[in-house]
Order: sequence, then C-alpha cells, then structure tokens
Amino acid sequence: MDISLIVVQAFNALFYASILFLISSGLSLIYGIMRILNLSHGALYMVGAYVTYTVVILWLGLDWFSMILGYLASILVVGGLGILVERILLKPLYGKSHDLQLLLTFALILILDDVVKMIWGPEYRAFPKLPGFSIPVGDFQVPIYFIFTVLLGFSVAIVLHLFFTRTTVGKMIRAMTYSPEVASALGINTDRLFALSFGLGAALAGLAGGVAVPLYTASPGMGTEVIVLSFAVIVIGGMGSIKGALLGSLIVGFSRVFMVMLFPVMEIALIYIIMALILLVKPTGLFGMEMRERR
Amino acid sequence: MRRDAELYSLILLLGVLAVAPLFSTQYTVRLLTVGLLYGLAAVGFNLLYGYTGLLSFGHAMFWSAGAYGLSIGLVRLGLDPLQSIGLAFLLTLVVALATGYLSLRHTEIYFAMLTLAFAQLIYALIIKLRDVTGGDEGIYGIPRPMGLGEYYYLVLAIVASLVLLAWWIVRTPLGLGFQAVRDNSSRAASVGLDVSRVRLVSYVISALYLSVAGMLYAPLNRAITPDIAFWTFSAIIVIMTIIGGVRRVAGAFIGGLIFIFININAMRFTEFWQLILGLILAILVYLAPEGVSGIVEKVVRRVRG
Repeated sequence: MDISLIVVQAFNALFYASILFLISSGLSLIYGIMRILNLSHGALYMVGAYVTYTVVILWLGLDWFSMILGYLASILVVGGLGILVERILLKPLYGKSHDLQLLLTFALILILDDVVKMIWGPEYRAFPKLPGFSIPVGDFQVPIYFIFTVLLGFSVAIVLHLFFTRTTVGKMIRAMTYSPEVASALGINTDRLFALSFGLGAALAGLAGGVAVPLYTASPGMGTEVIVLSFAVIVIGGMGSIKGALLGSLIVGFSRVFMVMLFPVMEIALIYIIMALILLVKPTGLFGMEMRERR
Repeated sequence: MRRDAELYSLILLLGVLAVAPLFSTQYTVRLLTVGLLYGLAAVGFNLLYGYTGLLSFGHAMFWSAGAYGLSIGLVRLGLDPLQSIGLAFLLTLVVALATGYLSLRHTEIYFAMLTLAFAQLIYALIIKLRDVTGGDEGIYGIPRPMGLGEYYYLVLAIVASLVLLAWWIVRTPLGLGFQAVRDNSSRAASVGLDVSRVRLVSYVISALYLSVAGMLYAPLNRAITPDIAFWTFSAIIVIMTIIGGVRRVAGAFIGGLIFIFININAMRFTEFWQLILGLILAILVYLAPEGVSGIVEKVVRRVRG
C-alpha cells in the first residue's frame, strides 16, 4: 500500500481521535465525579457546532481569528448551558433514583434537537471549505486544519492533566471522584464543584462541536451517533480518567479509519467488539478505577 | 393499592383497549397497535430492570432480532409464517443467550455498557450486511396476513396474554427470586438461589418479550429500518418504562401507552413534537418521580383515606 495514503489516513485518524477526545473527556469527567450518565452530552456537542458555525459563517466570515472566536463562543454558550442545567435541573435530583437522571438527560436531547431545528432550520449547515491551506503528501493533501485540531486536542489534554494534578481546585475535584462524602467532610464545597465540573464537561463538548463543524457539518441529531462512540471511548480508556479518554479516542479513531480502508464491513463493529472485550477482561478500562454506584 | 388492584386495573385497561377501535379512525388504530407493542416491550424490559434490578441499555437488539428474524424469513428466504416465527425465536435465543451469558458477568453500569456494546455491534452488522438486512434501507414488503382492524385484535390478544403472564410470573417463586436477587444478591445466594441463573432466566424471558413485540411490529409497519436497532430505541424502551413506573407490571405497560399517546398528540399539535415530548418527560421527572402509576397509587390511597 502507498505510504503517502497511510500517512494521510493516520492524520484522518488523529483528527477524528482529537474530536472524540474533546467530547469524551467531558463525558468521562461528569461520570467520574457525579456518576451521571449524561445522555445529552452529544446534544451539547451539537449546540457547540451550531454556535461556531453561526459566529464564523453567518457573522464574521471564515478565517482563523473568527474560528478562535467561534470556539470561545461555543465554550461559553455550552458551558453556561451546562451550569444552568446542573443548577436548575440536575441538582434537585441528587440522592434520588438514577432513573430520573437518565430520563432528564434523554429529555434534554429531544428538547435541544428541536430548539436547534427552530433556530437554524432542519437542513445541514456546512462550511464552504476548511480554514487554512493543505499540505501535499504524495498524491494526497493533508489540510492544515487537521494538524491544528490534533495540536489543540493534545494541548487540551495537557491543560486538563495539569489542572487535575497541579491546581487546588483540580485536586479537590479528583478527591470528589473517589468520594464526595469524604471530600465534603474535608471541607470541600462539593455543591459548587459539581456545578463547575458539569460546566467544564459541557464546555469541552461545546469546543468539540466547534472544532468538528468545519469538516462534519452541523445538523439536528448529529449528537446521537457521537455520544455512543464516546461511551465506547470512555469504557475502553476507563470511566473517570482523562488519560483513558485520550487513549480510548486514539484506539477508536485509528480502528475506525483503518477499518474503512482495510475491511469496511467491520468499520463500526470493531469498535464495539473492543468495547465489549475490555468490559469482559478489564471492566475498569485501561486506566480507570472501579466505579460503584452511589446511593 | 392492594395487590389485586393491579390485576383489576390491568383487566380494565385491556377492556378499554378492546373497545377503543370502535371509536377510532384507521390512523388511530394503527397508533394504538404501536402503543400496545411499546407497552409489551416495556413490560418485558421491566422484568429485567424493575424486578431483577439490571439496567440493560441494549434491549433494542431483541426487538430487532424478532423483527429482522421474521422479515428475513418472510421476505428474503421465502419461508412460510410459522417457519419465519421459528427463525425469529431462534435468532432471539441465540442473541439473548450469548449476550446474556457474557453481560451478566457484571452488574450496574458495566452491565449497562456491555448490553449497549452488544446492541451497537448488532446495529453495525445490520447496517453493513446489506444482502441480508437491506442495510440503511431496511426490508420492505413484509406481508400482513389481515386488515389493520383484525390485526389490532390479534396483537391485543397476544399482548394481553403476555402482560397477564408477566403479572403472574412476578408472583411465582421464579419472579420472587428475581426480586430477591434485585434487593440483595448475596442474601439471595445465601438462601440457596443460583443468582447467575436467576439473572440469565430473567434476561432471556425479557428478551423474548421484546422479540415478540418486534415480530408483531414488522407486519404492522410492512417495513423495518435499522432505527429499531439503534441505541436511541433502547433508550426509549428504558424511558417509557420509567415514566410508567418500574415497580409494577401495570406501570410499565401504562408507560408504553402513555409514551405513544404523548407522541401522537404532540405530533398533531406541532412539527416540533420532540420539543413537546422532551418537555413533558422533563416535567414528569419532578412531578412523577415514581412514574405515572406511582401518582395513580397515591391518588387512590388518598381517596380511600
């Protein structure tokens, strides 16, 4: 096989993995700290995609500066939405049956899908082209936007890692992952950190949407496929672990892109086979810790 | 509500459903049939979830096993209806035993994620194995042996028997075993219950309920598409059971009917029916945390004083 094709596909896989990482690190964070399976996480990603689209295409015009503004807008809008959802809707449900969280986050998917349809219409919203130029690799092209996205994904991974290992707030949040009760007894304001964590997780989903939209286009319901792949990512890497989300994203990204090339029938199937195998052999995932339900 | 009251309310509800077509248009009868099948699916799902304490996030795979098994038999292989039903049951049993055996090594979130993984694997295969399943387009031209009006009564008869059967199962030693495992699996083991076998039996019975619902759905619709295997459908099965109430058979059944009822009316009202449905579900979270059947029970208790 042509070596330049493999290089190009590797960039494809890295790009895809970066987007998956941004989404699933937020999902993993929220599950690890709050034990909430946020089904609406894909819908938050969708909102992020529309916000960046609006800022860049409808308002400012396609260039790098407006892309950055678009990302910031997605982070603020979706992060803010996350904090509102946590404070108003989820907070009253803490300590109650987990059923209610599932019901609520599923209801949010339905609501957000239609709100998006009301504001932006049912049609697909596509970028006319990717920002930036392309680098020729053999007979193929690698858009500079792919390289930018990969660098962004890794930078976010490093920032998150530093946040959780070096800052006081980050360490407090990690303490809560083990036990909110103990953290609370140590004088940590768990209530406020719940809001912060959910907001941070949502903001990551929003950023992911913004980064993905130039290539994947925005459409109502675009979150429903990506959310289930994100579940695969965090199960493979280990729920609650940022490192796990990174490794899981790379595994899912590479297996999908290279299966399309080698054995298309297994394109998606292989991801779920890996997911099931990990659950059977090492249910805590590659980097996770044991997750027991809290009652 | 006393124990018998659940049986009486089920019979009353089924009685109402038996006369409902007399006052309905063709269109409504069709939707009522879907409501019955959703109710049946919720009852089957709830045997595993409400009664055995295992949250499956992949029950769409059993509805699909029934629907695709039957349709592949009838349309692709040209089998007669009885053989096709046999094929659908066989497919369901293979899927249920294999996924159940593996998934039940875990409980709680890991069980939920395993069932999700298997269901998505099956979805991925349905999409890719075009020659057999029709891929994205699904299978068309599934024959229905009778008119819609008669088909409704066939569905009602089967659904009624299976719902009453579920009411009975949860009162047999087997069903009490489900609940013992749910409430405290180590105590259940210490009094001599084979916990993993009880869980597997519950899982397979539950799968068969979903499969029958899927088998009845395919001829109703005359066509099936892979949506019925996607995770969102598994989620809908969970959601409608929760809105009905997970503590009783009747609760889950009502949940399926209510889900369709809200859907129809929201669709009639606006093109943004998902928004309405979502808002109602969100409101139910706070107003009816134990499901609609929980509210009914509270009202009944208050009236009785």
